[in-house]
Amino acid sequence: MPKTSEAQELYFKKLENEFLKCRDIANKARAQGYDPALQSEVPSATDLAERVEVLMGVEGLAVHIRFCEEKMSREEASLQVAADIAAGLVGKFDKKVDAIQCAIRTAVAVLTEGVVAAPLEGISQVSLGKNDDGTDYIKVYFAGPIRSAGGTAEALAVLAADYVRRKVGLAPYKPRDIEVERYVEEIMLYKSIASLQYTPTDDEIRLIVRNCPICIDGEPTEQEEVQGYRNLERIETNRVRGGIALVIAEGIILKAPKVKKHVDKLKFDGWEFLDKIIAGSKPAASEGSKEDEKKIKPKDKFLADLIAGRPVFGHPSRPGGFRLRYGRSRNTGFATAGIHPASMIIMDDFIATGTQLKVERPGKAAAMVPVDSLEGPTVKLFNGDVVYVDDVKSAIAIRNDITEILDNGEIILNYGDFLENNHTFVPSPYVEEWWSQDLALKTAEKVEIKTAKDAFEISEKYDVPLHPEYTYMWHDITTEDVVYLSKYISKNGRIEEGQLILPLEPRSKRILELLLIIQKVRDEKVIIPPDYTYTLTRCLGLDTDLSVKDKSPYDSLDAHPWNAVSTLSGVTVMERAPARIGARMGRPEKSKLREMKPPVHVLFPVGDAGGTRRSLLDASSYSKSLSDKIGEIEVEMGKRRCPDCGAITIKNICDCGAHTVPYYGCPDCKIEGLKTETCPRCGKPTTSNVMQKVNIKALYAKALKDLGERENFDILKGVQGLISKEKTPEPLEKGILRAKHDVYVFKDGTIRYDLSDVPITHFIPREVGLTVEKVKGLGYDKDIYGEPITSPEQVIELRVQDIILSHDCSSYLIKVCAFIDDLLEKFYHLPAYYNVSSEDDLIGQLVIGLAPHTSAGVLGRILGFTNASAGYAHPFFHAAKRRNCDGDEDCVMMLLDGLINFSLSYLPDRRGGKMDAPLVLSMRIDPKEIDKESHNIDVMARYPREFYLATRDFKSPKDVEKIIDLVSKRLGTPAQYEGFMFTHGTSDIAAGPANSAYKTLGTMEDKLKAQLELGRRLRAVDEKDVAERVINSHFLPDLIGNLRAFSTQQMRCVKCGAKFRRPPLTGTCPKCKGGRIILTVHEGAVTKYMEVSLSIAREYGVPKYTIQRLELLELSIQSLFQNDKSKQMGLADFM
Amino acid sequence: MHDMDIVKVLANKGYILEPDALDMLKGSRDPDELIGRLLSGLDPSAFIISGKDVARIAIKPAATGIAGTPPDIRILKDITNNSTCIGDYDEFVGYFRNRFSILGDMMRNRISSRPIESILKKKGMRSASSSEKNEISIIGIVSDHRVTANGHRLIEVEDQTGSISVLIMKDSDICDMPVLLDEVIGVTGVPASDGGLFIASSIIYPDVPYTNVARHSDEPAVAALISDVHVGSDTFLEDNWLSFLDWINGDSVSDQDADLVSRLKYIVVAGDLVDGIGIYPGQDKELHILDIYDQYKKTAEYFDQIPKHISVVISPGNHDAVRQAEPQPALPEEIRSMFRNDNITFVGNPAAVEIEGVRFLIYHGRSIDDMVSNLPGASYSYPEKVMVELLKRRHLSPIYGGRVMIAPESKDHFVIDPLPDVIHSGHVHTVGICRYRGVLLANSGTWQGQTEFQKRMNIQPDPARIPLVDLKSGEVSVIKFGE
Repeated sequence: MPKTSEAQELYFKKLENEFLKCRDIANKARAQGYDPALQSEVPSATDLAERVEVLMGVEGLAVHIRFCEEKMSREEASLQVAADIAAGLVGKFDKKVDAIQCAIRTAVAVLTEGVVAAPLEGISQVSLGKNDDGTDYIKVYFAGPIRSAGGTAEALAVLAADYVRRKVGLAPYKPRDIEVERYVEEIMLYKSIASLQYTPTDDEIRLIVRNCPICIDGEPTEQEEVQGYRNLERIETNRVRGGIALVIAEGIILKAPKVKKHVDKLKFDGWEFLDKIIAGSKPAASEGSKEDEKKIKPKDKFLADLIAGRPVFGHPSRPGGFRLRYGRSRNTGFATAGIHPASMIIMDDFIATGTQLKVERPGKAAAMVPVDSLEGPTVKLFNGDVVYVDDVKSAIAIRNDITEILDNGEIILNYGDFLENNHTFVPSPYVEEWWSQDLALKTAEKVEIKTAKDAFEISEKYDVPLHPEYTYMWHDITTEDVVYLSKYISKNGRIEEGQLILPLEPRSKRILELLLIIQKVRDEKVIIPPDYTYTLTRCLGLDTDLSVKDKSPYDSLDAHPWNAVSTLSGVTVMERAPARIGARMGRPEKSKLREMKPPVHVLFPVGDAGGTRRSLLDASSYSKSLSDKIGEIEVEMGKRRCPDCGAITIKNICDCGAHTVPYYGCPDCKIEGLKTETCPRCGKPTTSNVMQKVNIKALYAKALKDLGERENFDILKGVQGLISKEKTPEPLEKGILRAKHDVYVFKDGTIRYDLSDVPITHFIPREVGLTVEKVKGLGYDKDIYGEPITSPEQVIELRVQDIILSHDCSSYLIKVCAFIDDLLEKFYHLPAYYNVSSEDDLIGQLVIGLAPHTSAGVLGRILGFTNASAGYAHPFFHAAKRRNCDGDEDCVMMLLDGLINFSLSYLPDRRGGKMDAPLVLSMRIDPKEIDKESHNIDVMARYPREFYLATRDFKSPKDVEKIIDLVSKRLGTPAQYEGFMFTHGTSDIAAGPANSAYKTLGTMEDKLKAQLELGRRLRAVDEKDVAERVINSHFLPDLIGNLRAFSTQQMRCVKCGAKFRRPPLTGTCPKCKGGRIILTVHEGAVTKYMEVSLSIAREYGVPKYTIQRLELLELSIQSLFQNDKSKQMGLADFM
Repeated sequence: MHDMDIVKVLANKGYILEPDALDMLKGSRDPDELIGRLLSGLDPSAFIISGKDVARIAIKPAATGIAGTPPDIRILKDITNNSTCIGDYDEFVGYFRNRFSILGDMMRNRISSRPIESILKKKGMRSASSSEKNEISIIGIVSDHRVTANGHRLIEVEDQTGSISVLIMKDSDICDMPVLLDEVIGVTGVPASDGGLFIASSIIYPDVPYTNVARHSDEPAVAALISDVHVGSDTFLEDNWLSFLDWINGDSVSDQDADLVSRLKYIVVAGDLVDGIGIYPGQDKELHILDIYDQYKKTAEYFDQIPKHISVVISPGNHDAVRQAEPQPALPEEIRSMFRNDNITFVGNPAAVEIEGVRFLIYHGRSIDDMVSNLPGASYSYPEKVMVELLKRRHLSPIYGGRVMIAPESKDHFVIDPLPDVIHSGHVHTVGICRYRGVLLANSGTWQGQTEFQKRMNIQPDPARIPLVDLKSGEVSVIKFGE
């Protein structure tokens, strides 16, 4: 069976053709020699194998990987390929160690789909060490970026190293006792500095280090040094090595069962210690997945590290918080949850599309999107009215009249996220989609419910539970309350025109509020509308005249109030919201152009001549002294040599027209023109970098003239110095044009725009600004039901590489396109390509999507634009970048910009420098070769009844996997791309506020005030706890940290920016001879949260311990910033 | 006095002696005086005199003898109420200039130094005259320190005129001399021919003169050194602490200690009276008393049990309720007023105090953390070795920017000047005592058991041990409480 349908294939072909067009243009531009290389430096790859080959730079690797993958699983293939490289079957290496290093890296690359930078950056080095018995062992140096590989790949990297070790016949690592203890101390220290998902016990660490046949080593990643086990002979550093902590704790221990599986298969000895780890600690299984008692256990982990200004929307599982609803909307799933847009507004606009929420379950966090088919919030107004809000307009109208938010409304979470997190189900509420399946079991008839009366009649006729719409939150009150309310209404109530009128009385009023019954309060009377009156009286066992139906109805009622109500009403009443999801705000949504700090137009060094703004214009009028030439500055740049005429220059193109190449030498031995990496005489690394005199003024004038541009921009910013290996500058012309179009460059030469990731599987042309013709022009011809497209309101399934961007993004990309067109015409003398003047013109253009920590871009096509400040794309597109949508963000760049302007030569020459760069471009998304998390997305139109029953039994998601339609079941067939469905619709993917209040509120104090004020109004939130948490997790650490920083601070020269560990005795800057030096930490930074902390601490009555801590800090601050002699001068001193 | 004489004397007064009481009386230096005191203090209704009675009444110093003399405590140097810092840049500069000038002056009589600027000016001069080949000296404060690719050491030193790189060749005699950041050293050597570099042949520290002789008290009074009581912590060793209080009250004192106790006249506390609050994350889980004021109230109760004739000097530490930045002032009035004994003197940290003519420098010892991280071979098990290194540098906390937080006061209070006779520290919870060129260095351990943090760091504390200093002889003995 083919993997794609014809239509799908056509789509891919279309993208490829467009891509090839762009690549041709880029290569034509590049061929002119103005850039560091003569062709585009973003190679394309069609599959995983090719991406790995490009990343590793080993020819023939792709063929070998494909060969291995055919016969075995990804994980086995990775080990096999590694062994083959080490054995010399693939690739050529000078030294055995190099082969081993490449083998281990390749294994990790295959495991991580050839997307992340971990294989290159996370494994910094492999070398050999000597055991005390004289044998050699393998040391693998892990660095910080290994984190991006994830636990499994981290652990399997070690296994691959061992596999390779056996093949090449090296000894296992035999650690010394002091080395073992060093690991214990170091990992614990790392844990206290950075975060670890799992904290291993000392014995677990000892067990692993003693037994692991590979020496897990690492580069120092932290500034802190170990105190106990220092200066060990075989460990090069006393600083903390983050890599070892990650690999041991998050890799080997957490993934022990997975590693064990492979060890068994390969029949390795020496890994028996895994059994002890598996038996000893089951960190993953013990938490969250086991809820034996069939009770919802509130989890408060999501509240940890609460930050000022980011509100809590519900304490763990507390009534009034978001009510769980199972399902998937077309814009949820894949770690994204939806709420009603009215809820977003009622939460004082703190939640917008793309805002991250830390949630109680099933995962840690989720991005938020509007889904208006859900239920909205219920609020109490100052006048006592209780109002249900389910449209944005009325939400805005009443937002200032709210005294209490009784209920946050629903939150939609999909089956797939529970499966992905292996989180036991919590009970589903009784919802319409379940009820209708209950009814279908009883009758095939179509029924219609218009009134409460209809609902009761149907329940009685077919013996099905009461329809959810008429089911109240009985579980939030007690059976006693039920009886009280029933008696109270019977005794004091009267019915007028179907409305129930009750004298205002606190207890009954509160019970009605907790049930979420709509009501008005007028003249000390509570008025309940007719439909609610009917349902309420029935549920309380009252007749239409409010008399008690039975003789002794209140005897022997069930303690569960909903059962009591079932008895009283004679129909089954189900639990309406058994599970509430606690939540707080995580990071705000993002939609912003990427700037470096400070922003840069061109990667061209100006040194100190550009001032703090790094201005090229300032630099071109700079002169060091009166005798020096104006505009001549001294900066470090790479030397290049012309192969034709032998001229030495800094430019990529020689005046004679030939393309130049870097010119290496040894500055110590004064040898030039070396081709080796190290100097043959002294052995030091060779370099092409030298301090050179550059006449910026002349260069700048020539660039302007060549372009035919005038200086019609305010500022042109360069960089202070280049940080790439060969220190290759960009052509100045690119900067001039960027400044002209007001766009900024990133460290790799590209222009980027960042957006929060949100998923979408189906779109409505109207909401993304498309007409029917436009949609058809993009290759869409049918809607979700297979009907031809005739209206912009139809729901259409999204192609996997089409993306929807924010309007702010479009206005930036329009400028980017104008820049590229200018660049093509004026610099490369090629025809303009984009010719974009409006948003509409951008539709259909190709972009590169690229996530941080990764090195592989994904080809995307702009489908349309939205009001939301986020980037909507198919979950597969996000998964291809190895992102999910739990609040992650990444960037897009125009394809031609990437192809023409990206260069490896600009990348920083340091650890992690190759991250976040398009080292390779994936042309086509193959669902099999993207992040496996995306395979757990459910694509059904309705969850089956068995699913709902399973949730009530607290079953594991795996138990019902067979009855759910998942992406994983469609892999390898055309259905992997098409025919997805969703359970809940939404009319606008950008409804609700465009930006979170967190972003629109100005000062931290305003944000904090708003956060606490919202907490005060939310029934599900304990604002005192919020205040305490904010103080403890944000303000106190800030105060303590800054106080410490103040008293150990560095100093800085305002003139040249030089930093000093302590002030020089001369007082002024010795580097620039006399520059004024200032503190880097000021009193203001130390004290900024002091007052506000104390005031909220007192106002909200936080525990004494916290108040005392604050008071002690206040004392410290006073003592540090107040002179004893002067502060004692009071009025009395003058009398 | 013979055994029988003693028995007789007391029998005449109507008392019978138990054997241990007899042993104690005859073992004392002046049995007559002791008997007199015993008789005047005994309850007339008593009949049998036990050893306990002797200890309680007679040995417990009464208003006579050494312990009866009025206390003699003079504060020489203390930041309390003298803090002028308001946290601006000039103060930081002034602070280091003060350090440089005092420590530099200490070395000026040993080497004749030149301003660094004068060496730099020679740079670039083609042919140095023959005199330039001669060794010259500079005095500077260390601003950077690293090892070159070839294994030589490169030290950046600066004075108020400029800064120069000092090269210590890896095969020279001084290549193993530890040099710390921000300490003031004197360097002798030759400037390299191309200038900007100075090749060192010797390095000197301000150090203590060989001729230094410790002062002594005329009276054989004894001072007990304690620190790191950590009242309020759940690992505070209350039982041991109470036996210490019993001991100074003369209860359950063994014979060999009786004399010491009788002469005990001073207790010096080098910080960390209480465990404090919020000193490290999650501390509330390891606290027995959560309220900081309650911690001090409890401490005051303990200190009230110290006999009135013993004078106490209390200096704060990093767990106490004063500013964390050093120098720390004395505990605030609010807390001082909880201590009802008027025999307590509150001082800052560090503080120089003269007791019966013997000069004490009390410093809690936060800088030992920085020293252990930066000084090869230094460890928490031997704090006295670290203190020797500090004394050589005549500075309690040379390294800036590490664990020690500083308040930029106009004077560098960490400079060890004038020379003390005793430097008393704590902080690291281990006991260590040694003498360097006449100065007694003592770290006084702790009253807290091993904490979670220490377990992880593999630090074994020496709890409930007290160094006792005989102010007349200068001798030190260590008494241990509990098991």
